[in-house]
Amino acid sequence: MNSELRTQNSELSLRQSSCKIRNLEIIIKSMGRSKRRLLFYFFCVLCSVFCALSPALAKIYIDITSPAIRQLPISIRTSGTPTSKQLESIVKNDLGFTGLFSFVDPDVPGAEIIADIKVEITDGLKVILSINDLIEGKEVLKKRYDASKIIIRPMAHTISNDIYKVVTGKKGIFRTKLSYLVNTAAGRKELRLMDWDGFRSMKVVSKGLTSSHSWSQDGSFLIYSAERSRKWKIYLLNLKRYREMVLFSSRGLNLVGGTSPDGLISLSSSKDGSPEIYVINIYGKGFKKLTRSFGIDVSPVFSPDGSKIAFVSDRGGSPQIYTMNLNGKGLKRLTFEGSYNTSPSWSPDDKWIAYTGRKNGKNQIFMLKSDGTDLRQLTFIGNNESPSFSPDGLFLAFDSDREVRRGIYIMRIHGEEQKRITPKNINAMSPKWSPYLK
Amino acid sequence: MKKLLIFLLLIFAVSCAKPFTKPPEESVKPEETVKEEAIKPEEMESEVVEEVVIPAEEEITESAISAEEKAKSIFRDVMFDYDKYDIRPDARPVLDSVAAFLNENNEINIVIEGHCDARGTNEYNLALGEKRAKAAKNYLVSRGVSPTRIIVITYGEEKQLCNEQNELCWQKNRRAHFVVVKSRFY
Repeated sequence: MNSELRTQNSELSLRQSSCKIRNLEIIIKSMGRSKRRLLFYFFCVLCSVFCALSPALAKIYIDITSPAIRQLPISIRTSGTPTSKQLESIVKNDLGFTGLFSFVDPDVPGAEIIADIKVEITDGLKVILSINDLIEGKEVLKKRYDASKIIIRPMAHTISNDIYKVVTGKKGIFRTKLSYLVNTAAGRKELRLMDWDGFRSMKVVSKGLTSSHSWSQDGSFLIYSAERSRKWKIYLLNLKRYREMVLFSSRGLNLVGGTSPDGLISLSSSKDGSPEIYVINIYGKGFKKLTRSFGIDVSPVFSPDGSKIAFVSDRGGSPQIYTMNLNGKGLKRLTFEGSYNTSPSWSPDDKWIAYTGRKNGKNQIFMLKSDGTDLRQLTFIGNNESPSFSPDGLFLAFDSDREVRRGIYIMRIHGEEQKRITPKNINAMSPKWSPYLK
Repeated sequence: MKKLLIFLLLIFAVSCAKPFTKPPEESVKPEETVKEEAIKPEEMESEVVEEVVIPAEEEITESAISAEEKAKSIFRDVMFDYDKYDIRPDARPVLDSVAAFLNENNEINIVIEGHCDARGTNEYNLALGEKRAKAAKNYLVSRGVSPTRIIVITYGEEKQLCNEQNELCWQKNRRAHFVVVKSRFY
């Protein structure tokens, strides 16, 4: 069974996609391992049953849906090889950014829960995580992680996800990624991927001038627009095979907007002269035109259920955010403050639309409810553009020139903890947060 | 004695003859000067040959430059107002001469690039840049240029001419830019 896992892992690492870590849940009784395949599958089924049941049974330490969120005092104790300290700092950075935790020295009382992380490096990386409720005096999770390679960062993020899940009952975003653009030369931009904390950056598309881009909802495809040889086409990249194909091509400008849970892709195309909003499916078929106006219609993004589209139009004389139904009807103007409101992003919980608005000659990130009420300004320094929600809707990625060169920043959705995650020697912009990745 | 006398006489005669031969000497001088002149033209000729070569080269380069300059003076950038894509009155003479040039030179095709200043957001600026390039194209078509001779491409704010944060630089970047191509597009 071990060798099988190892071959799977090496295959995955060859593909350069994020290395998977096999989780084996050890229920406190500690089941004996068997080499027989049948028993392995039985074990998997048992695990998933426990995983499905545990959120319903488990106590939730922090209710992130409540208006007054408290910080949970937590101790993180690592032991084993020196790399355990590196792993600990990554876990603390992950959990700390949420604002939901306060870290307590493990040797000092005061923590409500403690996470023990034992790290072992043999031919790969082995970690045992044990989370204990110090108030009730019981173990709430015990888990073993095996990786055939020493992949500290993904391992740390996986552990963060599990601690976060125990505490909040929700899925963590610590294994998600961001796609973004880097300006490599005048008129050239390449598409890259990185972890949510800015590490493990990877070049994905370097040909031509890549512009708007979007993740498929399962996280296995990137859809992007690029100018190559004076043609703007929409491309589709399979992230497992790294195979690129043309999804949509026509005369004029073709810019991808977003994707829907039904596998639809929204885009803006000027194939008939003026840029209008269209939807197509992931096979490049089912072409449907949604707007008909003389002016500019651009940047269409789906609501989380895929029933509506938010987009930018200058039909009212200046670029503003509008919403409409998927049949092109029910048009509603959302933004009225200012004369330049663009690049909408719809929050995964359907509540908010974040966008870039021009105020006092500078671009800033704003957010309003998807019914157009409760307008909030989230950034104040420099020019800030291109907001993108994390899949749990608790964070926003955006780009900013506040530290001279444009870079990618992340923050919590009400504007706290604004933090640069790309290095200062590159021009990085237009982040798009991935969905949850496996 | 007689022989000596004759010899003296002869010497006298010769010495006296010198003043008489002076005029012919003078007439020789013009000959010499003529000779000199005759040489000079030879030298001059070789110089002239060189000079002929040089001016000929200069003439060729001059004519090439002037043609380029002529094209440059015709294919000037068309400027736009902030967040606008309608053709300004000051852009019409530029577009009129572009149209006239294209109507005279049917072998030439053009690419019109649409550009924006960096203040807007990237995606919207791509759409805006295309609108600008298309506005310029439509104007040329209205002046009799075949639309098949014009390709339109937008670069939004991706190819800036300058990066200063002032109106002078922003205006420089808000442009439709012409690129002349000799081959046919399709």
